[in-house]
Amino acid sequence: MIGSIEVRGLSRTFHTTVRRPGFTGALRSLVNPERAVKHAVSDITFDVSQGELLALLGPNGAGKSTTIKMLTGILTPTSGEARVAGVVPYRERERNARNIGAVFGQRTQLWWDLPVRESFAILRDIYEVPRAEHAARLREFDDILELSTFWDTRVRHLSLGQRVRCDLAAALLHDPMVVFLDEPTIGMDVVVKEQVREFLRHQVEERGRTVLLTTHDMTEVERLAERVVLINHGRLVLDGTLDEIRRRFGSTWQVRATLADPHTPVGPLPGIVLVRRDGPQVVFGPDGPAAPTVHTALKLVIERYEVTGVAVDEADLEDVMRAAYVHANAEAV
Amino acid sequence: MNAVRIMWRITRLNFRAQLEYRTEFLMMIAIGAIWQVSVIVFATVLLTRFTGMGGWDSSDVLLIPATRMLAHGLFVLLLGRVHGLGRHIQEGKIDAYLLRPMPVYRQIQLQYFPTNAIGDLTVATGLMVGAISRSDLDWTAGRISYLIAAVLGGMLLEAALFTVVASASLRFPAADYWGRWLEELLGTFGSYPLNVLPRAVGGLLTYGLPLAFVAYFPAAVLTGHGHSTGTPYWLAAASPLLGLAAYLSARLLWRWSLNHYTGVNG
Repeated sequence: MIGSIEVRGLSRTFHTTVRRPGFTGALRSLVNPERAVKHAVSDITFDVSQGELLALLGPNGAGKSTTIKMLTGILTPTSGEARVAGVVPYRERERNARNIGAVFGQRTQLWWDLPVRESFAILRDIYEVPRAEHAARLREFDDILELSTFWDTRVRHLSLGQRVRCDLAAALLHDPMVVFLDEPTIGMDVVVKEQVREFLRHQVEERGRTVLLTTHDMTEVERLAERVVLINHGRLVLDGTLDEIRRRFGSTWQVRATLADPHTPVGPLPGIVLVRRDGPQVVFGPDGPAAPTVHTALKLVIERYEVTGVAVDEADLEDVMRAAYVHANAEAV
Repeated sequence: MNAVRIMWRITRLNFRAQLEYRTEFLMMIAIGAIWQVSVIVFATVLLTRFTGMGGWDSSDVLLIPATRMLAHGLFVLLLGRVHGLGRHIQEGKIDAYLLRPMPVYRQIQLQYFPTNAIGDLTVATGLMVGAISRSDLDWTAGRISYLIAAVLGGMLLEAALFTVVASASLRFPAADYWGRWLEELLGTFGSYPLNVLPRAVGGLLTYGLPLAFVAYFPAAVLTGHGHSTGTPYWLAAASPLLGLAAYLSARLLWRWSLNHYTGVNG
Protein backbone atom coordinates (compact mmCIF):
# COMPACT_ATOMS: atom_id res chain seq x y z
CA MET A 1 0.00 0.00 0.00
CA ILE A 2 1.24 3.49 -0.84
CA GLY A 3 2.69 5.20 2.21
CA SER A 4 2.55 2.19 4.50
CA ILE A 5 5.22 0.08 6.15
CA GLU A 6 5.01 -3.71 6.20
CA VAL A 7 7.48 -5.74 8.23
CA ARG A 8 7.40 -9.53 8.15
CA GLY A 9 9.71 -11.71 10.24
CA LEU A 10 12.56 -9.22 9.95
CA SER A 11 15.83 -10.33 11.53
CA ARG A 12 19.35 -9.00 11.61
CA THR A 13 22.28 -10.88 13.04
CA PHE A 14 25.76 -9.50 13.66
CA HIS A 15 28.88 -11.58 14.17
CA THR A 16 31.16 -10.17 16.82
CA THR A 17 34.29 -11.18 18.67
CA VAL A 18 33.94 -11.79 22.39
CA ARG A 19 36.33 -9.55 24.35
CA ARG A 20 37.96 -11.46 27.16
CA PRO A 21 38.79 -9.42 30.28
CA GLY A 22 42.32 -8.30 31.16
CA PHE A 23 45.55 -8.12 29.21
CA THR A 24 45.96 -11.91 28.96
CA GLY A 25 42.39 -12.16 27.81
CA ALA A 26 43.04 -9.58 25.10
CA LEU A 27 46.09 -11.56 23.93
CA ARG A 28 44.08 -14.80 23.92
CA SER A 29 41.36 -13.09 21.88
CA LEU A 30 44.02 -12.02 19.39
CA VAL A 31 45.41 -15.52 18.94
CA ASN A 32 42.22 -17.50 19.35
CA PRO A 33 39.23 -15.20 18.86
CA GLU A 34 35.92 -16.41 20.17
CA ARG A 35 33.15 -15.53 17.77
CA ALA A 36 29.66 -14.72 18.96
CA VAL A 37 26.39 -14.19 17.17
CA LYS A 38 24.34 -11.19 18.22
CA HIS A 39 20.68 -11.18 17.24
CA ALA A 40 20.08 -7.43 17.04
CA VAL A 41 16.59 -7.93 15.63
CA SER A 42 14.76 -11.27 15.73
CA ASP A 43 11.72 -12.11 13.68
CA ILE A 44 9.72 -8.94 14.16
CA THR A 45 6.44 -8.36 12.35
CA PHE A 46 4.32 -5.23 12.35
CA ASP A 47 2.55 -2.80 10.03
CA VAL A 48 2.20 0.94 9.98
CA SER A 49 -0.76 2.28 8.05
CA GLN A 50 -0.67 5.33 5.85
CA GLY A 51 -1.07 8.50 7.93
CA GLU A 52 -0.29 6.73 11.19
CA LEU A 53 2.42 7.72 13.67
CA LEU A 54 3.87 4.68 15.38
CA ALA A 55 6.29 4.91 18.27
CA LEU A 56 8.91 2.17 18.21
CA LEU A 57 10.06 1.92 21.80
CA GLY A 58 12.52 -0.11 23.77
CA PRO A 59 15.48 0.24 26.11
CA ASN A 60 18.95 1.10 24.78
CA GLY A 61 20.31 -1.68 22.58
CA ALA A 62 16.84 -3.18 22.04
CA GLY A 63 17.17 -3.11 18.25
CA LYS A 64 15.20 0.05 17.40
CA SER A 65 17.93 1.73 15.35
CA THR A 66 18.81 -1.50 13.56
CA THR A 67 15.14 -1.88 12.59
CA ILE A 68 15.02 1.68 11.26
CA LYS A 69 18.28 1.13 9.37
CA MET A 70 16.80 -1.91 7.62
CA LEU A 71 13.64 0.01 6.73
CA THR A 72 15.62 2.93 5.33
CA GLY A 73 17.88 0.69 3.22
CA ILE A 74 21.06 1.29 5.23
CA LEU A 75 21.27 -2.33 6.36
CA THR A 76 20.23 -5.54 4.67
CA PRO A 77 18.31 -7.93 6.92
CA THR A 78 19.61 -11.42 7.55
CA SER A 79 16.12 -12.77 6.92
CA GLY A 80 12.54 -11.63 6.61
CA GLU A 81 10.91 -9.04 4.39
CA ALA A 82 10.10 -5.35 4.60
CA ARG A 83 8.24 -3.01 2.28
CA VAL A 84 8.16 0.72 2.65
CA ALA A 85 5.61 2.43 0.39
CA GLY A 86 5.64 -0.75 -1.70
CA VAL A 87 9.44 -0.79 -2.15
CA VAL A 88 11.88 -3.27 -0.61
CA PRO A 89 14.31 -0.70 0.86
CA TYR A 90 17.51 -2.77 0.90
CA ARG A 91 17.01 -4.01 -2.69
CA GLU A 92 16.10 -0.68 -4.26
CA ARG A 93 17.91 1.77 -2.04
CA GLU A 94 17.78 4.82 -4.31
CA ARG A 95 14.11 4.31 -5.21
CA ASN A 96 13.26 3.89 -1.54
CA ALA A 97 15.26 7.03 -0.71
CA ARG A 98 12.92 9.08 -2.92
CA ASN A 99 9.87 7.85 -0.95
CA ILE A 100 11.22 8.37 2.54
CA GLY A 101 12.64 11.05 4.78
CA ALA A 102 14.78 10.25 7.80
CA VAL A 103 16.25 12.09 10.75
CA PHE A 104 18.82 10.57 13.05
CA GLY A 105 18.87 12.98 15.98
CA GLN A 106 22.54 12.62 16.74
CA ARG A 107 23.83 12.97 13.18
CA THR A 108 23.24 15.56 10.55
CA GLN A 109 22.56 14.81 6.93
CA LEU A 110 23.30 18.35 5.82
CA TRP A 111 26.51 19.66 4.28
CA TRP A 112 28.60 20.68 7.25
CA ASP A 113 30.38 23.63 5.62
CA LEU A 114 27.46 25.08 3.70
CA PRO A 115 24.72 27.48 4.80
CA VAL A 116 21.51 25.55 5.49
CA ARG A 117 19.62 27.18 2.63
CA GLU A 118 22.28 26.01 0.17
CA SER A 119 21.89 22.45 1.49
CA PHE A 120 18.15 22.73 0.97
CA ALA A 121 18.73 23.91 -2.61
CA ILE A 122 21.06 20.97 -3.30
CA LEU A 123 18.46 18.56 -1.95
CA ARG A 124 15.85 20.25 -4.15
CA ASP A 125 18.03 19.44 -7.18
CA ILE A 126 18.81 15.88 -6.04
CA TYR A 127 15.13 15.07 -5.51
CA GLU A 128 14.12 17.09 -8.57
CA VAL A 129 11.54 19.18 -6.72
CA PRO A 130 10.08 22.06 -8.81
CA ARG A 131 11.33 25.45 -7.59
CA ALA A 132 7.88 26.88 -6.78
CA GLU A 133 6.94 23.76 -4.83
CA HIS A 134 10.23 23.89 -2.94
CA ALA A 135 9.74 27.55 -2.03
CA ALA A 136 6.17 26.95 -0.85
CA ARG A 137 7.19 23.99 1.29
CA LEU A 138 10.08 25.91 2.78
CA ARG A 139 7.68 28.73 3.74
CA GLU A 140 5.34 26.22 5.35
CA PHE A 141 8.17 24.66 7.37
CA ASP A 142 9.49 28.08 8.33
CA ASP A 143 6.11 29.04 9.77
CA ILE A 144 6.33 26.27 12.36
CA LEU A 145 10.04 25.68 12.79
CA GLU A 146 11.23 29.31 12.46
CA LEU A 147 14.10 28.35 10.21
CA SER A 148 14.61 31.68 8.48
CA THR A 149 16.32 33.16 11.54
CA PHE A 150 19.31 30.87 11.02
CA TRP A 151 19.09 29.25 7.58
CA ASP A 152 21.85 31.43 6.17
CA THR A 153 24.23 30.07 8.82
CA ARG A 154 26.61 27.22 8.06
CA VAL A 155 25.51 23.92 9.55
CA ARG A 156 28.69 23.65 11.62
CA HIS A 157 27.72 26.84 13.50
CA LEU A 158 24.17 25.82 14.42
CA SER A 159 23.03 24.79 17.90
CA LEU A 160 21.69 21.25 18.29
CA GLY A 161 18.07 22.43 18.32
CA GLN A 162 18.56 24.56 15.20
CA ARG A 163 20.41 21.77 13.44
CA VAL A 164 17.76 19.13 14.10
CA ARG A 165 15.00 21.49 12.97
CA CYS A 166 16.93 21.96 9.73
CA ASP A 167 17.43 18.21 9.43
CA LEU A 168 13.69 17.72 9.87
CA ALA A 169 12.93 20.23 7.15
CA ALA A 170 15.57 18.67 4.87
CA ALA A 171 14.05 15.23 5.38
CA LEU A 172 10.60 16.45 4.33
CA LEU A 173 11.40 18.92 1.55
CA HIS A 174 10.84 16.32 -1.16
CA ASP A 175 7.41 15.48 0.27
CA PRO A 176 8.11 11.87 1.27
CA MET A 177 5.21 9.56 2.08
CA VAL A 178 7.04 7.84 4.93
CA VAL A 179 9.24 9.47 7.58
CA PHE A 180 11.63 7.75 9.98
CA LEU A 181 12.70 9.64 13.08
CA ASP A 182 15.35 8.15 15.33
CA GLU A 183 15.34 10.12 18.59
CA PRO A 184 14.74 13.44 16.83
CA THR A 185 14.44 15.58 19.97
CA ILE A 186 17.36 14.17 21.92
CA GLY A 187 19.17 16.90 23.85
CA MET A 188 16.70 19.67 22.93
CA ASP A 189 15.23 22.23 25.28
CA VAL A 190 11.50 22.05 26.05
CA VAL A 191 10.54 24.96 23.81
CA VAL A 192 12.19 23.50 20.72
CA LYS A 193 10.86 20.04 21.58
CA GLU A 194 7.34 21.40 21.57
CA GLN A 195 7.97 23.16 18.26
CA VAL A 196 9.18 19.90 16.71
CA ARG A 197 6.20 17.98 18.11
CA GLU A 198 3.80 20.51 16.65
CA PHE A 199 5.55 20.18 13.32
CA LEU A 200 5.28 16.39 13.41
CA ARG A 201 1.63 16.50 14.42
CA HIS A 202 0.98 18.82 11.49
CA GLN A 203 2.80 16.47 9.09
CA VAL A 204 0.75 13.47 10.22
CA GLU A 205 -2.66 15.08 10.64
CA GLU A 206 -2.61 17.60 7.80
CA ARG A 207 -0.26 15.97 5.31
CA GLY A 208 -1.13 12.34 6.02
CA ARG A 209 2.47 11.20 6.29
CA THR A 210 3.33 7.86 7.84
CA VAL A 211 5.81 8.29 10.68
CA LEU A 212 7.89 5.74 12.53
CA LEU A 213 9.38 7.36 15.60
CA THR A 214 11.87 6.06 18.15
CA THR A 215 12.32 8.02 21.35
CA HIS A 216 12.96 7.64 25.05
CA ASP A 217 10.81 10.68 25.74
CA MET A 218 7.43 9.41 26.95
CA THR A 219 5.87 12.88 26.82
CA GLU A 220 6.59 12.79 23.12
CA VAL A 221 4.95 9.38 22.79
CA GLU A 222 1.94 10.56 24.73
CA ARG A 223 1.53 13.70 22.63
CA LEU A 224 2.16 12.15 19.23
CA ALA A 225 1.52 8.41 19.08
CA GLU A 226 -1.66 6.42 19.28
CA ARG A 227 0.06 3.11 18.79
CA VAL A 228 3.24 1.73 20.24
CA VAL A 229 5.47 -1.19 19.32
CA LEU A 230 7.80 -2.26 22.08
CA ILE A 231 10.90 -4.28 21.29
CA ASN A 232 13.38 -5.73 23.70
CA HIS A 233 16.46 -7.85 23.03
CA GLY A 234 15.54 -7.59 19.35
CA ARG A 235 12.12 -9.18 19.82
CA LEU A 236 8.74 -7.56 19.50
CA VAL A 237 7.11 -7.88 22.89
CA LEU A 238 4.12 -5.63 22.54
CA ASP A 239 2.09 -4.00 19.80
CA GLY A 240 -0.91 -1.97 20.83
CA THR A 241 -2.55 1.37 21.40
CA LEU A 242 -1.50 3.53 24.32
CA ASP A 243 -4.82 2.74 26.02
CA GLU A 244 -4.24 -1.00 25.72
CA ILE A 245 -0.75 -0.66 27.13
CA ARG A 246 -1.94 1.48 30.00
CA ARG A 247 -4.63 -1.08 30.74
CA ARG A 248 -2.12 -3.89 30.75
CA PHE A 249 0.76 -2.29 32.60
CA GLY A 250 -0.46 0.99 34.05
CA SER A 251 -2.53 -0.55 36.80
CA THR A 252 -1.58 2.01 39.42
CA TRP A 253 -4.32 4.59 38.90
CA GLN A 254 -6.71 5.59 41.65
CA VAL A 255 -10.00 7.51 41.50
CA ARG A 256 -10.72 9.41 44.73
CA ALA A 257 -14.30 10.62 45.17
CA THR A 258 -16.22 12.50 47.86
CA LEU A 259 -19.80 11.20 48.12
CA ALA A 260 -22.63 13.70 48.48
CA ASP A 261 -24.28 11.34 50.99
CA PRO A 262 -21.73 9.68 53.30
CA HIS A 263 -24.16 6.83 53.99
CA THR A 264 -24.46 5.76 50.35
CA PRO A 265 -23.60 2.05 50.06
CA VAL A 266 -20.55 1.56 47.82
CA GLY A 267 -19.63 -1.61 45.98
CA PRO A 268 -17.35 -2.69 43.14
CA LEU A 269 -17.91 -1.56 39.56
CA PRO A 270 -17.01 -3.57 36.42
CA GLY A 271 -13.23 -4.00 36.54
CA ILE A 272 -13.00 -1.56 39.44
CA VAL A 273 -12.47 -2.37 43.10
CA LEU A 274 -13.13 -0.27 46.20
CA VAL A 275 -9.70 0.22 47.73
CA ARG A 276 -10.77 1.98 50.94
CA ARG A 277 -13.52 4.09 52.45
CA ASP A 278 -13.41 6.73 55.13
CA GLY A 279 -16.85 8.27 55.61
CA PRO A 280 -17.72 10.14 52.42
CA GLN A 281 -14.18 9.65 51.04
CA VAL A 282 -13.93 6.58 48.78
CA VAL A 283 -10.99 5.37 46.72
CA PHE A 284 -11.36 3.07 43.72
CA GLY A 285 -8.61 1.16 41.92
CA PRO A 286 -8.27 -1.24 38.98
CA ASP A 287 -9.37 -4.83 39.43
CA GLY A 288 -7.22 -7.24 37.45
CA PRO A 289 -6.20 -7.25 33.80
CA ALA A 290 -9.73 -6.40 32.61
CA ALA A 291 -9.68 -3.06 34.43
CA PRO A 292 -10.80 -0.06 32.37
CA THR A 293 -8.66 2.98 31.67
CA VAL A 294 -8.67 5.72 34.25
CA HIS A 295 -10.92 7.85 32.05
CA THR A 296 -13.53 5.10 31.79
CA ALA A 297 -13.28 4.42 35.51
CA LEU A 298 -13.87 8.07 36.27
CA LYS A 299 -16.91 8.09 34.01
CA LEU A 300 -18.32 4.97 35.68
CA VAL A 301 -17.86 6.38 39.20
CA ILE A 302 -19.53 9.68 38.34
CA GLU A 303 -22.41 7.91 36.61
CA ARG A 304 -23.00 5.50 39.49
CA TYR A 305 -22.63 7.79 42.51
CA GLU A 306 -23.57 11.31 43.35
CA VAL A 307 -20.25 12.93 44.15
CA THR A 308 -19.26 16.42 45.27
CA GLY A 309 -15.60 16.07 44.37
CA VAL A 310 -13.38 13.78 42.40
CA ALA A 311 -9.62 13.44 41.81
CA VAL A 312 -7.44 11.07 39.81
CA ASP A 313 -3.96 9.73 40.54
CA GLU A 314 -2.51 8.10 37.49
CA ALA A 315 0.82 6.44 36.78
CA ASP A 316 2.42 8.42 33.97
CA LEU A 317 3.46 6.75 30.74
CA GLU A 318 7.03 6.51 31.95
CA ASP A 319 5.88 4.28 34.83
CA VAL A 320 3.72 2.27 32.47
CA MET A 321 6.58 1.70 30.05
CA ARG A 322 8.91 0.84 32.90
CA ALA A 323 6.42 -1.81 33.98
CA ALA A 324 6.21 -3.04 30.39
CA TYR A 325 10.03 -3.28 30.10
CA VAL A 326 10.26 -5.16 33.40
CA HIS A 327 7.54 -7.51 32.23
CA ALA A 328 9.30 -8.02 28.87
CA ASN A 329 12.62 -8.73 30.62
CA ALA A 330 10.97 -11.23 32.96
CA GLU A 331 9.41 -13.00 29.97
CA ALA A 332 12.78 -13.09 28.16
CA VAL A 333 14.35 -14.81 31.18
CA MET B 1 22.83 15.52 -17.16
CA ASN B 2 21.08 16.38 -13.92
CA ALA B 3 23.76 14.41 -12.04
CA VAL B 4 26.55 16.48 -13.66
CA ARG B 5 24.68 19.71 -12.86
CA ILE B 6 24.28 18.67 -9.23
CA MET B 7 27.94 17.65 -8.95
CA TRP B 8 29.04 20.97 -10.43
CA ARG B 9 26.72 22.91 -8.14
CA ILE B 10 27.93 21.13 -5.00
CA THR B 11 31.58 21.50 -6.03
CA ARG B 12 31.06 25.22 -6.66
CA LEU B 13 29.38 25.70 -3.28
CA ASN B 14 32.05 23.66 -1.50
CA PHE B 15 34.77 25.74 -3.14
CA ARG B 16 33.02 28.96 -2.15
CA ALA B 17 32.71 27.64 1.41
CA GLN B 18 36.48 27.04 1.52
CA LEU B 19 37.17 30.52 0.14
CA GLU B 20 35.31 32.13 3.01
CA TYR B 21 38.01 31.00 5.44
CA ARG B 22 40.85 32.88 3.73
CA THR B 23 43.76 31.87 5.99
CA GLU B 24 42.66 28.24 6.09
CA PHE B 25 42.29 28.27 2.30
CA LEU B 26 45.81 29.62 1.71
CA MET B 27 47.29 27.30 4.31
CA MET B 28 45.72 24.29 2.61
CA ILE B 29 47.21 25.28 -0.74
CA ALA B 30 50.59 25.75 0.91
CA ILE B 31 50.41 22.40 2.67
CA GLY B 32 49.53 20.72 -0.65
CA ALA B 33 52.70 22.18 -2.18
CA ILE B 34 54.96 21.63 0.85
CA TRP B 35 53.80 18.02 1.09
CA GLN B 36 55.66 17.47 -2.17
CA VAL B 37 58.89 18.90 -0.85
CA SER B 38 60.62 15.50 -1.02
CA VAL B 39 59.85 15.29 -4.73
CA ILE B 40 61.12 18.82 -5.32
CA VAL B 41 64.35 18.03 -3.42
CA PHE B 42 64.69 14.79 -5.37
CA ALA B 43 64.27 16.61 -8.69
CA THR B 44 66.75 19.34 -7.70
CA VAL B 45 69.40 16.86 -6.53
CA LEU B 46 68.85 14.71 -9.60
CA LEU B 47 69.35 17.59 -12.01
CA THR B 48 72.25 19.30 -10.20
CA ARG B 49 74.29 16.36 -8.89
CA PHE B 50 73.67 13.40 -11.21
CA THR B 51 73.73 12.84 -14.93
CA GLY B 52 71.31 9.94 -14.66
CA MET B 53 69.97 7.01 -12.67
CA GLY B 54 69.63 3.29 -13.45
CA GLY B 55 70.73 3.84 -17.04
CA TRP B 56 68.29 6.72 -17.57
CA ASP B 57 69.25 10.34 -18.28
CA SER B 58 68.24 12.82 -15.58
CA SER B 59 65.78 14.50 -17.93
CA ASP B 60 64.12 11.11 -18.59
CA VAL B 61 64.03 10.27 -14.88
CA LEU B 62 62.34 13.62 -14.21
CA LEU B 63 59.39 12.44 -16.27
CA ILE B 64 58.63 9.78 -13.60
CA PRO B 65 57.96 12.14 -10.63
CA ALA B 66 56.27 14.62 -12.96
CA THR B 67 53.82 11.99 -14.23
CA ARG B 68 53.23 10.61 -10.75
CA MET B 69 52.73 14.02 -9.20
CA LEU B 70 50.28 15.13 -11.86
CA ALA B 71 48.36 11.86 -11.56
CA HIS B 72 48.36 12.28 -7.79
CA GLY B 73 47.21 15.91 -7.97
CA LEU B 74 44.31 14.95 -10.21
CA PHE B 75 43.48 12.06 -7.90
CA VAL B 76 43.37 14.41 -4.90
CA LEU B 77 41.21 16.87 -6.86
CA LEU B 78 38.72 14.45 -8.42
CA LEU B 79 38.64 11.21 -6.43
CA GLY B 80 40.74 11.78 -3.32
CA ARG B 81 37.97 11.92 -0.69
CA VAL B 82 37.91 8.14 -0.74
CA HIS B 83 41.21 8.34 1.20
CA GLY B 84 40.72 8.48 4.98
CA LEU B 85 37.16 7.27 4.82
CA GLY B 86 37.40 5.25 8.06
CA ARG B 87 36.77 8.31 10.23
CA HIS B 88 33.67 9.24 8.24
CA ILE B 89 32.42 5.67 8.51
CA GLN B 90 32.85 5.77 12.30
CA GLU B 91 30.99 9.09 12.42
CA GLY B 92 28.08 7.41 10.63
CA LYS B 93 28.26 9.63 7.54
CA ILE B 94 27.87 6.63 5.25
CA ASP B 95 24.46 6.04 6.85
CA ALA B 96 23.43 9.55 5.83
CA TYR B 97 24.69 9.02 2.28
CA LEU B 98 22.68 5.81 2.02
CA LEU B 99 19.53 7.84 2.68
CA ARG B 100 19.89 9.96 -0.44
CA PRO B 101 18.97 8.90 -3.97
CA MET B 102 22.53 9.34 -5.20
CA PRO B 103 25.47 6.90 -5.44
CA VAL B 104 27.37 6.82 -2.15
CA TYR B 105 30.79 6.95 -3.84
CA ARG B 106 29.78 10.16 -5.62
CA GLN B 107 28.54 11.70 -2.38
CA ILE B 108 31.86 10.87 -0.73
CA GLN B 109 33.70 12.76 -3.48
CA LEU B 110 31.38 15.73 -2.99
CA GLN B 111 31.93 16.01 0.78
CA TYR B 112 34.19 19.06 0.53
CA PHE B 113 36.49 20.83 -1.89
CA PRO B 114 40.09 19.55 -1.60
CA THR B 115 41.91 22.88 -1.49
CA ASN B 116 45.28 21.16 -0.99
CA ALA B 117 44.92 19.74 -4.53
CA ILE B 118 45.60 23.27 -5.83
CA GLY B 119 49.06 23.11 -4.20
CA ASP B 120 49.64 19.57 -5.44
CA LEU B 121 48.69 20.45 -8.98
CA THR B 122 50.72 23.66 -9.02
CA VAL B 123 53.90 21.79 -8.08
CA ALA B 124 53.04 18.91 -10.43
CA THR B 125 52.38 21.21 -13.38
CA GLY B 126 55.66 23.03 -12.77
CA LEU B 127 57.51 19.74 -12.60
CA MET B 128 55.87 18.43 -15.79
CA VAL B 129 56.66 21.63 -17.71
CA GLY B 130 60.26 21.35 -16.48
CA ALA B 131 60.48 17.68 -17.42
CA ILE B 132 59.09 18.22 -20.93
CA SER B 133 61.25 21.28 -21.60
CA ARG B 134 64.44 19.43 -20.55
CA SER B 135 63.51 16.33 -22.47
CA ASP B 136 65.23 15.53 -25.77
CA LEU B 137 62.21 13.57 -26.95
CA ASP B 138 60.25 14.53 -30.00
CA TRP B 139 56.84 15.36 -28.52
CA THR B 140 54.63 14.06 -31.29
CA ALA B 141 50.84 13.97 -30.99
CA GLY B 142 51.10 10.24 -30.25
CA ARG B 143 53.57 10.78 -27.39
CA ILE B 144 51.51 13.64 -25.93
CA SER B 145 48.35 11.51 -26.12
CA TYR B 146 50.12 8.62 -24.41
CA LEU B 147 51.41 10.96 -21.70
CA ILE B 148 47.87 12.27 -21.07
CA ALA B 149 46.54 8.70 -20.99
CA ALA B 150 49.35 7.74 -18.59
CA VAL B 151 48.51 10.61 -16.21
CA LEU B 152 44.83 9.66 -16.24
CA GLY B 153 45.68 5.95 -15.86
CA GLY B 154 47.98 6.81 -12.92
CA MET B 155 45.20 8.80 -11.31
CA LEU B 156 42.78 5.90 -11.73
CA LEU B 157 45.30 3.38 -10.41
CA GLU B 158 45.89 5.47 -7.30
CA ALA B 159 42.12 5.86 -6.92
CA ALA B 160 41.73 2.09 -7.31
CA LEU B 161 44.24 1.39 -4.51
CA PHE B 162 42.53 3.81 -2.13
CA THR B 163 39.09 2.52 -3.12
CA VAL B 164 40.20 -0.98 -2.13
CA VAL B 165 41.31 0.38 1.25
CA ALA B 166 38.00 2.28 1.58
CA SER B 167 36.08 -0.92 0.78
CA ALA B 168 37.95 -2.67 3.59
CA SER B 169 37.23 0.33 5.86
CA LEU B 170 33.51 -0.21 5.40
CA ARG B 171 33.90 -3.38 7.42
CA PHE B 172 37.02 -2.52 9.43
CA PRO B 173 37.40 1.26 9.85
CA ALA B 174 40.95 0.68 11.17
CA ALA B 175 41.92 -0.35 7.61
CA ASP B 176 42.37 3.39 7.13
CA TYR B 177 45.92 3.01 8.48
CA TRP B 178 46.72 0.96 5.38
CA GLY B 179 45.74 4.02 3.39
CA ARG B 180 48.35 6.08 5.20
CA TRP B 181 50.96 3.40 4.55
CA LEU B 182 49.96 3.33 0.90
CA GLU B 183 50.28 7.10 0.61
CA GLU B 184 53.71 6.94 2.21
CA LEU B 185 54.82 4.17 -0.13
CA LEU B 186 53.57 5.94 -3.25
CA GLY B 187 55.34 9.12 -2.22
CA THR B 188 58.60 7.36 -1.35
CA PHE B 189 59.07 5.02 -4.31
CA GLY B 190 56.93 6.71 -6.95
CA SER B 191 59.69 8.99 -8.24
CA TYR B 192 62.43 6.45 -9.00
CA PRO B 193 63.17 4.18 -11.92
CA LEU B 194 62.38 0.96 -10.08
CA ASN B 195 65.29 -0.87 -11.73
CA VAL B 196 67.61 0.85 -9.20
CA LEU B 197 65.93 -1.12 -6.44
CA PRO B 198 66.70 -4.76 -5.57
CA ARG B 199 64.91 -7.12 -7.92
CA ALA B 200 62.58 -8.46 -5.21
CA VAL B 201 61.51 -4.97 -4.16
CA GLY B 202 60.99 -3.96 -7.79
CA GLY B 203 58.89 -7.10 -8.34
CA LEU B 204 56.84 -6.36 -5.25
CA LEU B 205 56.19 -2.79 -6.40
CA THR B 206 55.13 -4.13 -9.80
CA TYR B 207 53.08 -7.24 -9.14
CA GLY B 208 52.31 -6.88 -5.41
CA LEU B 209 51.49 -3.21 -5.15
CA PRO B 210 51.27 -2.03 -8.78
CA LEU B 211 53.15 1.23 -8.17
CA ALA B 212 55.30 0.72 -11.29
CA PHE B 213 52.26 1.17 -13.52
CA VAL B 214 51.51 4.66 -12.17
CA ALA B 215 54.51 6.46 -13.68
CA TYR B 216 57.60 4.28 -14.04
CA PHE B 217 56.37 2.06 -16.90
CA PRO B 218 54.66 4.88 -18.86
CA ALA B 219 57.82 7.00 -18.54
CA ALA B 220 59.93 4.00 -19.64
CA VAL B 221 57.74 3.49 -22.72
CA LEU B 222 57.87 7.22 -23.59
CA THR B 223 61.66 7.49 -23.19
CA GLY B 224 62.56 4.25 -24.99
CA HIS B 225 63.39 2.21 -21.87
CA GLY B 226 60.29 0.09 -22.20
CA HIS B 227 62.19 -3.06 -23.16
CA SER B 228 64.56 -2.96 -20.20
CA THR B 229 62.12 -2.85 -17.29
CA GLY B 230 62.15 -6.61 -16.72
CA THR B 231 58.42 -6.67 -17.53
CA PRO B 232 56.93 -7.56 -20.94
CA TYR B 233 56.82 -4.41 -23.07
CA TRP B 234 53.13 -4.80 -23.89
CA LEU B 235 52.29 -4.95 -20.20
CA ALA B 236 54.31 -1.82 -19.42
CA ALA B 237 52.75 -0.03 -22.42
CA ALA B 238 49.27 -1.01 -21.29
CA SER B 239 49.70 0.87 -17.97
CA PRO B 240 46.96 3.47 -18.70
CA LEU B 241 44.51 0.69 -19.57
CA LEU B 242 45.50 -1.27 -16.48
CA GLY B 243 44.77 1.84 -14.41
CA LEU B 244 41.27 2.00 -15.86
CA ALA B 245 40.73 -1.76 -15.38
CA ALA B 246 41.98 -1.56 -11.78
CA TYR B 247 39.66 1.34 -11.03
CA LEU B 248 36.61 -0.40 -12.50
CA SER B 249 37.44 -3.56 -10.52
CA ALA B 250 37.89 -1.52 -7.34
CA ARG B 251 34.48 0.09 -7.90
CA LEU B 252 32.92 -3.39 -8.18
CA LEU B 253 34.60 -4.34 -4.92
CA TRP B 254 33.28 -1.09 -3.38
CA ARG B 255 29.75 -1.89 -4.51
CA TRP B 256 29.98 -5.41 -3.08
CA SER B 257 31.36 -4.07 0.21
CA LEU B 258 28.63 -1.45 0.45
CA ASN B 259 25.99 -4.14 -0.03
CA HIS B 260 27.54 -5.94 2.94
CA TYR B 261 27.88 -2.80 5.03
CA THR B 262 26.95 -3.53 8.62
CA GLY B 263 26.91 0.04 9.91
CA VAL B 264 28.33 1.49 13.07
CA ASN B 265 26.88 1.64 16.58
CA GLY B 266 24.40 -1.12 15.86
